[in-house]
Amino acid sequence: MTLLASFAHEDTAVSAAAALREKGVEDFELFSPIPLHHADAAVGLGKSPVRVFTLLGAVLGAVGGFALCVWTATRFLLPTAGRPIIALPPYLLITYETTILLGVLATLLGFFVVGRLPAWKDRAYRPSSNVDRFVISVAGTAAAHAEEILRASGAESIERENAS
Amino acid sequence: MSSVLRKQMFDEGPPSYAEVNRDVINALTTTTWRYWVTLGISAGAAVLFFIAPWIYQIIVGVGAAGMNRNAMWGTYLSNFIFWIGLSHSGTLLSAVLHITQSDWRKSIYRSAEAMTLFSLMTAAMFVMVHVGRLWFVHWTFPVPNPMELWPNFRSPLMFDVMAILTYLTASSVFIYMGSLPDFAAVRDASKGLRRRIYAVLCFGWRGTAQEWHTLGWSYTFFAVLVIPLAVSVHSIVSWDFAMSTVPGLHQTIFAPYFVCGAIYSGTAGIVTVMWMLRRYMGFGRYIGKLHIDNLSKLLLVLSLIWTYINICELFTAWYADTSFENEAILYRIWEGPFWWLWWEMITFCAFVPLLLFSRRIRQNWNVMLVISIIINIGMLTERFVIVASSLPRKFLPDAFGTYFPSLVEISITVGSFAIFTTLFLLFVKIFPAVSIYEVKETLAPLRKREARA
Repeated sequence: MTLLASFAHEDTAVSAAAALREKGVEDFELFSPIPLHHADAAVGLGKSPVRVFTLLGAVLGAVGGFALCVWTATRFLLPTAGRPIIALPPYLLITYETTILLGVLATLLGFFVVGRLPAWKDRAYRPSSNVDRFVISVAGTAAAHAEEILRASGAESIERENAS
Repeated sequence: MSSVLRKQMFDEGPPSYAEVNRDVINALTTTTWRYWVTLGISAGAAVLFFIAPWIYQIIVGVGAAGMNRNAMWGTYLSNFIFWIGLSHSGTLLSAVLHITQSDWRKSIYRSAEAMTLFSLMTAAMFVMVHVGRLWFVHWTFPVPNPMELWPNFRSPLMFDVMAILTYLTASSVFIYMGSLPDFAAVRDASKGLRRRIYAVLCFGWRGTAQEWHTLGWSYTFFAVLVIPLAVSVHSIVSWDFAMSTVPGLHQTIFAPYFVCGAIYSGTAGIVTVMWMLRRYMGFGRYIGKLHIDNLSKLLLVLSLIWTYINICELFTAWYADTSFENEAILYRIWEGPFWWLWWEMITFCAFVPLLLFSRRIRQNWNVMLVISIIINIGMLTERFVIVASSLPRKFLPDAFGTYFPSLVEISITVGSFAIFTTLFLLFVKIFPAVSIYEVKETLAPLRKREARA
């Protein structure tokens, strides 16, 4: 069973989330139409692990891009007027571009992994939370216990859903 | 965000959260016959003026264009620079203003980003038109091939390939990620086939705290990565020219010159597009005086920088006093066949924008539409002047030639605007053209305590 409580105001929703955590209910989701930056602490979010993806991608891109230039240039040596075969200034430009390319792609991957998307299956959700409502869903055994807390925090309405 | 700025952002008073959803989604789903007629005309023009002459050129060969042995580059290349330049505005608005937390950008950045993406695509098409033998274009990519040959990464043309591929990838990712929550909003507000399509497009977004948190972090990283990328892209395009030894092109100032010119013409392009969105998409409530005033101030600053760089270019040529550079400059501004284009570009891009010192002009959408179009005509000719007045005059008289665009080139130039318009018209019916959730962020927060006080 899933419990869906909607709130008309973001501050009541955030304090309800904080109250849930205080009472030991960890398995809940807070839905909002806009990012609630001040809610991160209330739902237990700190620095996002996405940054690890970005860093690794960028490093891989830097190494890979430079390696690509060096490797392709040494497959067929074409000396021109005594200029270096492995020329740093142009190769660093390619490195710069591939650093950004893989940095972006890795961040995208990180977004999907950390944000647990794509998820096309049906999940507990109220479309109004994409307009002007703030919704908290509590799943599983904690739901009965959570209902009182949510009502006390000023939920507008509380609904139950039996699917998944 | 301060309540003063909030008041300035919406001329007719701030909308409610639900009204933002309704207005933006309505603009997406309600399609009048005028839209279809416009789309038909622009798609028809794209085929007639761009695709058909291109096919003709593929059949008869690249000789159908006016380029010749001494002027190997022509309008295709100058248009390529123009379109790449136009793309820089989106990055400025979405990434730079995101990092600096300029909240007024929030209702216009989505369309600016779309401009970035579509002008890049148009630019990429010009590369394919320019190379002539389109079916060998994959030779520019580092892919294993039966000839066991690899591209020469010491060439600025190869920097270009990598830069533009990266820019295309990054800007598509950027616009798509930023639109995910809005796709979800469209999904929730629609039924049937549209609902199913947007359910797939939004990747099952629900707006949980975890999702917003991840999106916020990723978005900031994208912004941080995209800013240096945009600067590098137009610098690299400029090195296609500056790294040659041709007088008139071989200048160290070219990279900042191109980047500044790119953002300049891009910002002018945004003004044009915003006028269209206000007039034809009914976004007047979201795009108002504050936006046009800020965009115009940006335009004014950029025009002054652009003018300064032009003076620098003339000054360094005069100060260095080498005969080749002197001749190249003289050919460009006085003796050559395109001298009048140089003066036109100075008038349009350096003198006309001085009008923007007046607040009344800055806040008048219709006047700004005219000025923004004038600026972009000036910038289009700037790129043409750079290419067409330098390459036909190299060091020795045997390398002298003349260049004049052929009918095919002129037609393809005109057609590129139709291609861009077609892509943009498709965009406004697929993406919410104004960011729903970010406009909501600029509204008064839905707080119980504040409401009481």
